[in-house]
Amino acid sequence: MDQQTTGPAQSEIVDRARAYVRENFLYMRPDWTLGDEDPLLGSGVIDSIGVIELVEFLQGAFRLAIAEEEITEQNLGTLAAIGRFVHQKCHANGSGGSVRPRQVA
Amino acid sequence: MCGLAGVARARPQGVSAQLLERMAAAIRHRGPDGFGLHADDRIGLAHVRLSVIDVAGGAQPMANEDGDVRVVYNGEIYNYLELRHELQLRGHVFRTRSDTEVLVHGYEQWGEGLLERLNGQFAFALHDRRTASLFLARDRFGILPLFYAERGGDLYFASEIKALFASGAVEQALDPEGLDEVFTFWAARPPRTPFRGIRALEPGTWARWRDGALSVRRYYTLDLATAEAEPADAVERLDELLRSGVRLRMRADVPVGGYLSGGLDSSIACALAAQGSPYHLRTFSVTFDDPPLDESAFQQAVATQLGSRHAVQRIGGGAIARVFPDVVRHAETPLLRTAPAPLYLLSRLTREQGIKVVLTGEGSDEVFLGYDLFKETLVRLFCLRQPDSRWRPRLFDRLYGYLPPQARKGDFWRRFFLNAGSPDDPLFSHLPRFRLTTRIRDFYADRFRAGLGAFDALGELRQSLPPGFMGWSPLGRAAYLEIVTLLSPYLLAAQGDRMAMAHGVEARVPFLDHRLVEFALRLPDRSRLRGLREKAILRRWAEGTLPPAITRRPKQPYRAPDVPAFFAGTEPEYVAELLDAASLQRTGIFNPEAVTGLVRRCRAGLATGVGENQALVAILSTELWHREFLGAPARERAPASSGELGAGASIAA
Repeated sequence: MDQQTTGPAQSEIVDRARAYVRENFLYMRPDWTLGDEDPLLGSGVIDSIGVIELVEFLQGAFRLAIAEEEITEQNLGTLAAIGRFVHQKCHANGSGGSVRPRQVA
Repeated sequence: MCGLAGVARARPQGVSAQLLERMAAAIRHRGPDGFGLHADDRIGLAHVRLSVIDVAGGAQPMANEDGDVRVVYNGEIYNYLELRHELQLRGHVFRTRSDTEVLVHGYEQWGEGLLERLNGQFAFALHDRRTASLFLARDRFGILPLFYAERGGDLYFASEIKALFASGAVEQALDPEGLDEVFTFWAARPPRTPFRGIRALEPGTWARWRDGALSVRRYYTLDLATAEAEPADAVERLDELLRSGVRLRMRADVPVGGYLSGGLDSSIACALAAQGSPYHLRTFSVTFDDPPLDESAFQQAVATQLGSRHAVQRIGGGAIARVFPDVVRHAETPLLRTAPAPLYLLSRLTREQGIKVVLTGEGSDEVFLGYDLFKETLVRLFCLRQPDSRWRPRLFDRLYGYLPPQARKGDFWRRFFLNAGSPDDPLFSHLPRFRLTTRIRDFYADRFRAGLGAFDALGELRQSLPPGFMGWSPLGRAAYLEIVTLLSPYLLAAQGDRMAMAHGVEARVPFLDHRLVEFALRLPDRSRLRGLREKAILRRWAEGTLPPAITRRPKQPYRAPDVPAFFAGTEPEYVAELLDAASLQRTGIFNPEAVTGLVRRCRAGLATGVGENQALVAILSTELWHREFLGAPARERAPASSGELGAGASIAA
């Protein structure tokens, strides 16, 4: 298993989040191209339950805790925002990504 | 209550008894107590009877003295004794004690003006030989169904669509626009149905057919304009109307029971029934093994207070999935929730216990502003007045207390409501729901979507709104939309009449006594929704009559398990069969790849949101519906001999 010492790169976070969103929220729209800056909310990609699923995925996959007040459009509104937010959290507390994250079904 | 069917010919070529028998046999469940038909060269009328009033003398079709006016009728005219007296004073001679005969003489006396005098739930077809015409009518709110199809100048009509198909003359094909309305509003909006060429007679309208031409007219319109102030005697007037509405609905020659949900409305109906019943009142409830859905403690509290003989239909694992194909067959439409299934089982229990008439609490939530949707409308307006407020949107967290906490969390949950639409949009109140429901469209097959073209279900609804709609209060507009898009075409139909009549049980709806509806809709909004306290005036009235646990209990919506009903235990075989990619491809409505993704999430226990639950039930029920109604011509499958109609058959040709 790969070991990382500095946490996942922002691009890796974005790619994994994209794969998760595609598999769980866009499975009914396979032709939908999901760009890094495309809105995930309001466009019907993710609803409020979906946001909770996404938060649970990010918490499990990148070993971090997300507080309710952090569940905002600024942090989770696009794939790029997720990349920035998760990357910053992983590096801020030093706990994220020290072990290859587990796979979430 | 009963079932009716028939044919009106453009040319005098006759109607065969076999044709009428086939149509009647398809709806025999609505009237297991008797059967009758009448046919001449132009008109055929068939009737299956559930005997409730004048058990011995009420056989149909029923004619006047000289046979000029003849009717088949499904329903109850609760003020029939008063109308009968009035007609007798005008010289009409009655031969039976039945409410049916009031229609015959009332039509002779007043023509279509009869309808305004009726207090009841009804659908009927009346042949007027004097004018060689057929007159069809349906009650004000659509408690009872009536469908028709025009074919080659002939008119086919029936209480249920399966009887039209059994004629062998009515095409069995889907209507994409009707289906798209189901996937927007939960039901097609009358006169549209999910079937091509089949129309529902709209609630509050009548139709006259003559010489191959049909004209439809409205005789009842909803008025949601409210008074400025609550009348000083409002609670006394409410008391009179509630008591009168229930008293009239206790008129029957058989015992009348009650459905008890555990909420305020059915408890009121049952409490007043217990006071007026000459029998020991029987009450019936659905209980769920799933605790968040279960209301048995409240049901039991009311039953104990009323001293009723109470019976429960327990809904455990697998119960819904086992009957769901039958539920869809009776509903005759795709469904977005499994909620009708427990009521299907409840009517079976009720009938097995020897009760064929029950009171229910339907209609109260619409006219007394009981649903969360009304509070949601107020909170959205409140928030939009100060869009930058951070605390106002937190009110949304209080609204849906029955949802799991993780489902109502964070900024996004609140934004779902706030970004749903502008208060200037006539559909403002319902846009969050419509937006959520129409996510089912994401699963459409490309060809089906293309077939819809530019069809716009919401646009058509906006166009259909009555003059003066925007002059009503936001809650008045919301109540109107709730009545026309959900109460009439779904709650009273797929979840109401069709589930009760599947087992020959008549559901009577005291809160839809039109006098009570008109009184309630006229009350100021704040008399009904005070702050975020729903049905305020009804609670005031009920204090002292019902246990405080009921009168002070917040509204709990009736819900049944959706995805878990099919995936939590042993998956029924039909699920895999119908949701198989090849089967979906043949049906052509949904994209197999998309449905496969949904099924994968259902099986993994990941499909927990409302959107995916609705989508799964919608897709599965659509495939069941397609297999049942569009898979093979009904004529090949329907019982074809009069022997199928069983005991009590009589033919008056």
